[in-house]
Amino acid sequence: MASRKEGTGSAATSSSSTTGAAGKGKGKGGSGDSAVKQVQIDGLVVLKIIKHYQEEGQGTEVVQGVLLGLVVEDRLEITNCFPFPQHTEDDADFDEVQYQMEMMRSLRHVNIDHLHVGWYQSTYYGSFVTRALLDSQFSYQHAIEESVVLIYDPIKTAQGSLSLKAYRLTPKLMEVCKEKDFSPEALKKGNITFEHMFEEVPIVIKNSHLINVLMWELEKKSAVADKHELLSLASSNHLGKTLQLLMDRVDEMSQDIVKYNTYMRNTSKQQQQKHQYQQRRQQENMQRQSRGEPPLPEEDLSKLFKPHQPPARMDSLLIAGQINTYCQNIKEFTAQNLGKLFMAQALQEYNN
Amino acid sequence: MSRFFTTGSDSESESSLSGEELVTKPVGGNYGKQPLLLSEDEEDTKRVVRSAKDKRFEELTNLIRTIRNAMKIRDVTKCLEEFELLGKAYGKAKSIVDKEGVPRFYIRILADLEDYLNELWEDKEGKKKMNKNNAKALSTLRQKIRKYNRDFESHITNYKQNPEQSADEDAEKNEEDSEGSSDEDEDDEGVSAAAFLKKKSEAPSGESRKFLKKMEDEDEDSEDSEDDEDWDTGSTSSDSDSEEEEGKQTVLASRFLKKAPTTEEDKKAAEKKREDKAKKKHDRKSKRLDEEEEDNEGGEWERVRGGVPLVKEKPKMFAKGTEITHTVVIKKLNEILQARGKKGTDRAAQIELLQLLVQIASENNLGEGVTVKIKFNIIASLYDYNPNLATYMKPEMWQKCLDCINELMDILFANPNIFVGENILEESENLHNADQPLRVRGCILTLVERMDEEFTKIMQNTDPHSQEYVEHLKDEAQVCTIIERVQRYLEEKGTTDEICRIYLRRILHTYYKFDYKAHQRQLTPPEGSSKSEQDQAENEGEDSAVLMERLCKYIYAKDRTDRIRTCAILCHIYHHALHSRWYQARDLMLMSHLQDNIQHADPPVQILYNRTMVQLGICAFRQGLTKDAHNALLDIQSSGRAKELLGQGLLLRSLQERNQEQEKVERRRQVPFHLHINLELLECVYLVSAMLLEIPYMAAHESDARRRMISKQFHHQLRVGERQPLLGPPESMREHVVAASKAMKMGDWKTCHSFIINEKMNGKVWDLFPEADKVRSMLVRKIQEESLRTYLFTYSSVYDSISMETLSDMFELDLPTVHSIISKMIINEELMASLDQPTQTVVMHRTEPTAQQNLALQLAEKLGSLVENNERVFDHKQGTYGGYFRDQKDGYRKNEGYMRRGGYRQQQSQTAY
Repeated sequence: MASRKEGTGSAATSSSSTTGAAGKGKGKGGSGDSAVKQVQIDGLVVLKIIKHYQEEGQGTEVVQGVLLGLVVEDRLEITNCFPFPQHTEDDADFDEVQYQMEMMRSLRHVNIDHLHVGWYQSTYYGSFVTRALLDSQFSYQHAIEESVVLIYDPIKTAQGSLSLKAYRLTPKLMEVCKEKDFSPEALKKGNITFEHMFEEVPIVIKNSHLINVLMWELEKKSAVADKHELLSLASSNHLGKTLQLLMDRVDEMSQDIVKYNTYMRNTSKQQQQKHQYQQRRQQENMQRQSRGEPPLPEEDLSKLFKPHQPPARMDSLLIAGQINTYCQNIKEFTAQNLGKLFMAQALQEYNN
Repeated sequence: MSRFFTTGSDSESESSLSGEELVTKPVGGNYGKQPLLLSEDEEDTKRVVRSAKDKRFEELTNLIRTIRNAMKIRDVTKCLEEFELLGKAYGKAKSIVDKEGVPRFYIRILADLEDYLNELWEDKEGKKKMNKNNAKALSTLRQKIRKYNRDFESHITNYKQNPEQSADEDAEKNEEDSEGSSDEDEDDEGVSAAAFLKKKSEAPSGESRKFLKKMEDEDEDSEDSEDDEDWDTGSTSSDSDSEEEEGKQTVLASRFLKKAPTTEEDKKAAEKKREDKAKKKHDRKSKRLDEEEEDNEGGEWERVRGGVPLVKEKPKMFAKGTEITHTVVIKKLNEILQARGKKGTDRAAQIELLQLLVQIASENNLGEGVTVKIKFNIIASLYDYNPNLATYMKPEMWQKCLDCINELMDILFANPNIFVGENILEESENLHNADQPLRVRGCILTLVERMDEEFTKIMQNTDPHSQEYVEHLKDEAQVCTIIERVQRYLEEKGTTDEICRIYLRRILHTYYKFDYKAHQRQLTPPEGSSKSEQDQAENEGEDSAVLMERLCKYIYAKDRTDRIRTCAILCHIYHHALHSRWYQARDLMLMSHLQDNIQHADPPVQILYNRTMVQLGICAFRQGLTKDAHNALLDIQSSGRAKELLGQGLLLRSLQERNQEQEKVERRRQVPFHLHINLELLECVYLVSAMLLEIPYMAAHESDARRRMISKQFHHQLRVGERQPLLGPPESMREHVVAASKAMKMGDWKTCHSFIINEKMNGKVWDLFPEADKVRSMLVRKIQEESLRTYLFTYSSVYDSISMETLSDMFELDLPTVHSIISKMIINEELMASLDQPTQTVVMHRTEPTAQQNLALQLAEKLGSLVENNERVFDHKQGTYGGYFRDQKDGYRKNEGYMRRGGYRQQQSQTAY
């Protein structure tokens, strides 16, 4: 606890402010009834996450780790973290729980917060809305209510703006997940759409005053060129990749819909058959009645017409959610780029 | 001589003969019966008279005889069997042997057999040739005889040390000598053997006469029986005969001895005995000579050949003094021919017979008609020589066949009054009536066709990499000359059908040969070379092109069977293509419409078609028409079965799928090696033309989602190349092409060039072309052009404008070429640019969508289909449960809005360029 640096002022670094603000706006709707309203991250944690990815993650591979901290009122303070080792095939019997427990015990010995408050994961072009993430976040949130997942986008970060976002599952989704029923009806009943699956929690990065002072000083000393990453005009690669991924998701979505379509057709066909059968039965019974015979015994219709297994809709929901994230990303990215382009144009004109 | 006397004087057991002679005991038992039996049937008498010892010994001698025969024919298995029997028989005869001592002949066979076996054993070569049974028997027998002979060691060594005394032949010789000497002795006594004989025959002594008679009879009988045996077993040798006889003789002698004391004095008896013996020996000697003669003449021969030819050979010779006329010869010929095709007929002998018949016919001046007739039959039986279709003629047979046909042709040319035809009936043949034209049944064309097929078969069955193949190939010239002669002959006398057929043969022997002479003539214009040389070259023969033209045109005009025309067309095209007359070849191919219905043709024609297509493709490539080359080769190459389709080998893969019979059929379809088209060359040509087409195409359609592959095989090779974990310098032809493709993709024509044309590739591929340098320079130019195109496709987005001069420098092409290439690209809308004439630059329009724009377009398309699917879901819901899902309608409206947005996006992305 002593290691936690209490900052008095609002000490978010300039770079994170934009994402933080953006996140805040979006997260507003969902976080109303949530236990956590704000996530305050220590600078150390951010650096550790970045370092972890830098050292171990490359390409589409993701890195994961555990967040440690405390809950203060409706604010989740993340003060430290530790990485999970990369999964390799030789140590299949690696016990994660054991590892976590040992790690936390050791950290406790050196007086670090040892409360498990969530986990972090890196992402490749913003593709993180997956079944695996949902499952693990559900188990976290199920065990510790305040848990969050921090998503770190290294590619965006490399372009000059730190991209770190905290997500939580909405209470609605939590309920559905508890039921473990992803049939269309259950999802409808739970009133879950792709927009209401995850809620984003606003992030504040907090540093000690001393660090802030150092930052200012560094900023003054750094050359202009160091800050030019943000102004990079080369956008095509990033945009292309995102589009490609988006397209893949759309394809998946298409397939999913086709699957659902078949199901619908089959069900309706069955319903019709069922209906006809019932009518015939009724007619026969009427005839029997008129002849004074006892009606035919009732038969179990569900045995005659086995209902088709409805396809699980969770996957398509997740895909939709992912598509949504991609779209947000693209939107954000293009908006920024447009700004940059206008700026460049203005500069060009000014120079000429 | 000493022997004779020693036998008389003392009873040594060492020599079997002397032992036998003195034995009287066994006969003694029969003595009482003797007079009775004498009156009985002679044969019976003969049998009964034999003593137990005789029986045993005869048994042994019989066995030994068989062994000797088996030894002669190297039938070790038989030897082993007989040897075992011999051992048993010897065991039976043991009691006698104990008394008599081991018979000489027995020791002799043991010793001989051992020697023989050792000899066989040493002869490694011969042992290899033995079949398995024999080889096994040999080792068994060798061991057995070794063991067995241990018991007789002393005897054998004795025999070996003193073979003269022991060996029967020697003994016989001795006997003969002794005969001579005994004669002398007799002379001394003043009685010649003949006189003695005479006297004896005159002598009224009933017993002696009877004896004599009996003896004679017996001799006769034994002779008969010998003859019989000769026929039956076919394996009697003269010396064993004599042995047997000797046995008999001794019996007689002993009998005589027995009787003698009763009628005459001892001395006289001895004398008589000697005389008898002498006489008998005389008889026997002459008989043996006869036998030997017979053996030399018939016996030996007969054993090798089997009975049939012997019977035939005799009639063939014509009884002496028979006047040899046409009728006789024809009769004989028919007689021979009747045996044809029958089982057990010796085909080789038949051929010989026919040849002899020809000789006889010509010796007797029977006229050419007969000769021709017989010649026809000789050739036919030469073809018949092989029992089935799969086997091919032996070289000597083949040579004979060629000679025979040549001779036949000589005769036919020399005698224009001979009519030959298959439609001439046997009855209406005129073989000798010189007044009318001679008519002979037989078809020279069929013979030649068959000969050609045989030639193909020989070539198919010879290892193409051996010297033998070259030797065989030399006959090709002869075959060609024969065909040419027949062609000339038929042009005079044959029907159009026949002419067509022989033309096709001629074509088949011409179409695949590159005409170097014509090629040379073409290269050196007539005024350049000296006149005389030119004339000489021209005299040597017409251009194969002209020849082909003439023959094919005749067939096109006159042929009524479709097949010959098809083959002729294909060969014609092939020939055109081989000589780089691409346009003629292509036009002929297109005009014939063969591509439409070739699948209905029989396999050999299809193979020919494939060969033609391949040749056409290679021709197009030489002309620099990569696209045509690619199209022509696509069918053959894409299947991956080029080898099979061209009839140049069977694929191992499909071996399981076909049975023995099919495989045989397929084997017969194979094209002889000298007609093969180099498969590596073929593949290289295909891959290089695919590269020249595919690489620019790939560059042009890089971002196109629905781009098609031009050549699957080429892509396959590229992928194989990419999968290599370590990229070394290219080794094989394919690797070279792949490496070149990669260079070309970057527009690096120099590297590409160095990969395609270098030492290795020259040796493997390019040098195989008739005009290699021309092809190479064409190829370089093609590479430059296509690299330029690729470069423009790949990098046009980077340029605003590019100077054509720079391009011309980069690709070492002259300016007009660059200009024309770029113009073509612009016209084909492959390159969005315009040419700026004054500055000689290409100005890019940049209307091609960028990568993002392309992606956006694709995305829009996908979203469109997604929306469609989504709507279908909703239609369902609405259709069936309209009211039930009312609240879902909101979603639908949203979807509509979304779709609009999608449409808008599409517009946006369209306006973007």
